[in-house]
Order: sequence, then structure tokens, then C-alpha cells
Amino acid sequence: MKSDEQLMLEYQGGSPHAFEQLFERYRNPVYGFFRRRLNNASRAEELAQETFVVILRDTEQYKPTARFRTYMYAIALKQLWSERRKEIRDGKLAAAVLHEERPQGDPETGLWVRAALEQLDPDHREVLMLREYEQLSYDEIAEVLAVPVNTVRSRLSRARVELKSLLESQSARGVSR
Amino acid sequence: MSRKEHPVWEEELMPYVDGQLDAAQASEIEKHLKECEECAAVIADARLLSKQMGTWVVENSPRGMDEHVLSEMEKKKGRRQQWAWWSRNRSWAFGLGGAFAAVALMVVLMPSHKDDLSNHFGDASRSVAGQINPAPLQRPAMPQDGNQQGQQGQQGQQGQQTLDSLLAKTLPAAQSQPTAEAPSGPMIIRNARLSILTKEFEAARARIQAIVQQTQGYLAQLTVRGETGSGKSLSATLRLPSSQLESGLVELRKLGKVLEESQGSSDVTSQYVDLQARLTNARNTEQRLLALQRERTDKLTDVVGVEREIARVREEIERMEAQRKDVFNKTQFATIQVELSEEYRAEIQPSAPSAGTQLHNALVDGYHGALNGLLALALFFLRYGPALLLWAIVLVPVALLLRRRHQGLRVG
Repeated sequence: MKSDEQLMLEYQGGSPHAFEQLFERYRNPVYGFFRRRLNNASRAEELAQETFVVILRDTEQYKPTARFRTYMYAIALKQLWSERRKEIRDGKLAAAVLHEERPQGDPETGLWVRAALEQLDPDHREVLMLREYEQLSYDEIAEVLAVPVNTVRSRLSRARVELKSLLESQSARGVSR
Repeated sequence: MSRKEHPVWEEELMPYVDGQLDAAQASEIEKHLKECEECAAVIADARLLSKQMGTWVVENSPRGMDEHVLSEMEKKKGRRQQWAWWSRNRSWAFGLGGAFAAVALMVVLMPSHKDDLSNHFGDASRSVAGQINPAPLQRPAMPQDGNQQGQQGQQGQQGQQTLDSLLAKTLPAAQSQPTAEAPSGPMIIRNARLSILTKEFEAARARIQAIVQQTQGYLAQLTVRGETGSGKSLSATLRLPSSQLESGLVELRKLGKVLEESQGSSDVTSQYVDLQARLTNARNTEQRLLALQRERTDKLTDVVGVEREIARVREEIERMEAQRKDVFNKTQFATIQVELSEEYRAEIQPSAPSAGTQLHNALVDGYHGALNGLLALALFFLRYGPALLLWAIVLVPVALLLRRRHQGLRVG
């Protein structure tokens, strides 16, 4: 199987099939990236589309020195931050959080995890999510977030400790009910 | 707990959990884990947490994403094809472009290398422009200019690719069938150049204008020069209906002795047909885009994109329409460049003026000199008089005071 970087270079060389393969490979991960970070599914879809469109438009800017995943998630993060700024400006973020459904039932379900993640420090949460869901390496996370690798390591450690504690307390509340 | 007592910090365990350590470092941690239950519990917790996080699963991306992204890719593909064509054929394109430019310059500009913009006949050009008849053309077959045809053919291909990619991304089902109206015969741009020596310059000049009127052509440019010590010369650019070119040349040859004559032509049929086809396609595209704009009411970015495409296609249509008209006009009217020179006859110079005339001239010059001197003096006083008066008012009393004081001292 060809690497992402090879496919991207092939696309730069004029092979549309190479980009189709990249799109097939990353359509779900990129959509998942936005879906886990936004409450609005259609907006997540639009931003995922927009990420691929930006990659297409700026194909010439991609240099094989960077890993394609890093490049792609850096674009996705920019889109996300821009969206959050917009939401804050429009006051939608607060409303979305207020109307968000609260997790019920078995603590093993994703809703518990989601609720606990929402309570994490945003910097810690982002590192943890990039590691767990996007499966980025420490170096890649450092590159995407433009922070030192040691910062990634310490944030990740703290995020796990915080999340564990939150899940345990949620679980305890769930049992007591 | 010190580093010595506990050689691995919790923070250092995370890279192990995440598989971010090399083999040596990993084996060191594994060794430590066998001895340290606390660290082993941290590892187990981290793995459990990872498993719990994995329970938050999101649905797959909707299929609607494909349409948008792949249509963007088609758009990009169209642009890249054009660029790839350009990259591959850049040297050819430069070569052909240069050749085309050289031929065009020779055809259009060479006959008018002595052009003087001081005597343009723009009005004549405008008045005759209305006489151009867009009826089907009947032209004699002329030798073809291969370079021009090749160049134009490639340009047409590029333009077609652009429009096709545009159609593909906006209305995939739309078909673009070129429906160009082909001219009934070859489209030839004709030109000629005549260099004539004449004894009767003024008569020849009048005759040129008469020939233009007779043939229902027009004078695009006319310059007359006349210098002491040489005969007059005339440079004119005549635009005669192509069908009248031969008769016009026959009449012009009668003006005097023909020193030089040349004729040329270039076949622009393929260029014209190509332009027509591209124009028709662009108009069809515009109509489809307008229909698309009316029918689609989805995302704003799509609507803006369609509007941008409409503006781009409209601009392209206008540019091609202008080119088409220009080519058509050039085939309708042949260009004749006429260089007319008068056969120079030297004349005896007139004698010097008489002594009386010279005295009279000297007297007039003296009178003018005196008058100018008086005028200069008057101007000086008017310009500096007030300032001098002011200084006199200030300085004269001071001078008088100093003088009196000096005299008083002497008396004392």
C-alpha cells in the first residue's frame, strides 16, 4: 500500500486517482475529528469537506518533508479554531453546551466519555483527543499544535489523570442514583 | 520519592503506553514494571482509559461529502490540465507565440513603419466601419500560414478544455456541442505595399483620396512631409474592401514610377472558426450556469462559486467576441501602405535683401531696443521702488542723526 506522502506526490504530479485514495482513507477520520469536537453534525460535515477542499486548492504548498497526516490535521485544527471563534462571537457555544444532553446509563458508553472530556482543560483535552482518536504520535501532535514534545507529554499525562478521575466520579454518581 | 528510589516518573510511562519509545527504552520500562506495582497500575489505568475512550464511536462520514470534494477535485483537475499543457509545451508555446507575433508584426506594422500620428483619420475609419457587410464571404484561396493555424488551434483546444471542465463541475450531465457557424470560404487578411516616385505630388495626393472614395474604402492614416532641399513625401495607409484591392492597386500604380511593390496575405480561417466554436460553447455554458444559478438554492459557497464562474465566462465571451470582430474586420478590408515621393527639382536661392531694406530693418530693430530698455527701467522701478522708498524712510533719518552728532562732537 502506498504511503500518504507518495499518494500526495502522485496527486501533485497530476494523478487524480491518488487523491481519491487519500480521500477514501481519511474521509471518516477527518469527519470523526470534527464530529467529536462539534455538537452540530452538518457543520462537522461541512468543515470536513472544507478541509479536503483546502488540501486540494493548496496542493502545491504541500512539501513531502511534512507527513501528510500532520499537514491534514493542522488544516483541520485551523478550521476548528476558526469555527470556535465564530461560535463564541455568535454566542452559539454557550447555548450548545447548555442544551447538550447529559449522559445516562452505563459508564462504559461513549456518552460518559464525551461528558468527561468536555470538562477537561481545553489544551489537555486536545492533546488527548489527538492521541487517542486521531492516533497522532507525540512528534506529530507537537507539530500540529506548535508546542514542544515535552509539553505534549506532560499535557497528555495530566489529561489522563484528570479524565480517569472524572470518569470515576461520574461512575460513582451513577451507582449512587 | 526521589529519582534514585523510583527511577521512572509517571509522565515517562505515557510514552510507553502510547508506543512512543524505542526498543531499549521500552525494555527498561518493562523491567521496572515487573518490580513496581504502582507503575504497573498506572499503565493498566492508562490502557483502560484508552479502551473507555474508544467506546465513543462516531458515525461514518455522510456520502454527501463525496460530491462536494470530488467536484472540487474535477475543478482543480481542469486547471491542472491547462497548467500541465503549458508546462509540457512551454518552449513550443513560446516558440510558436514568438513566430506568430513576428508574423503579425510584419503583416500589420511593417507597412506603417513611418507612421506619424499627427495626421490620423479616425473619423473616416469610424464612418466606414458601418459599411462592413457580415454576409457570407467569398474569397479566393490563398496560401495558408501554418504557424498561425497551429498556434490558434492550440489556443482553441485550451479554451475548450477550460469550458469543458467548468461544465463538468457544474452540470455533469450537460453536453457541450460546438455549433460554430463556419465561414463559406477561406478567411484571408490581405495587405500590399507600394513605393511610388511622382513628378506631380499634389495631383497624386488628390488622386489617392479619389481612389479611396471610388473603392468605398477609407484612409486609415496619412502623413505628408516637406523639407527644404528635398522633395515632399507622403505616407498613407489605405483600407480598401478586399474585393477592391486589385483595382485599387492598378489605379495607384498609375500615380508615377513604382519603385517597390509587395503583397502578402494570411489565412485566418481556422482562427475564426475556432473563435466561433469557443464563443458558442462559452455562450452555452453561460446559459447553463444561469439556469443552475436559478435552480440551486443550497450552500452559499456554491452560489458564490456559480456567480464567479458566470462572471468569468461572461468576460471570456466578451474578449472572444472582440477578437472575432477584429479578425472579421481585417478580412473585410485589405491594407495598402503607400509611400509616395516627389521627384525633387532644386531651385536657385533668392538674392540678399537690398541696402534700403537692411537700413529700414536696423532702424526698426533700434526702435524696438530703445522701447524695450525703457520698459525694463519702468518695470525695475515698479518692482523695487516701494522697497527702496521704505528703506530710505528708515535709513535717511538715522544717517542725518549720526551726521549731526558727529558735527556736534567736532564743535564741542
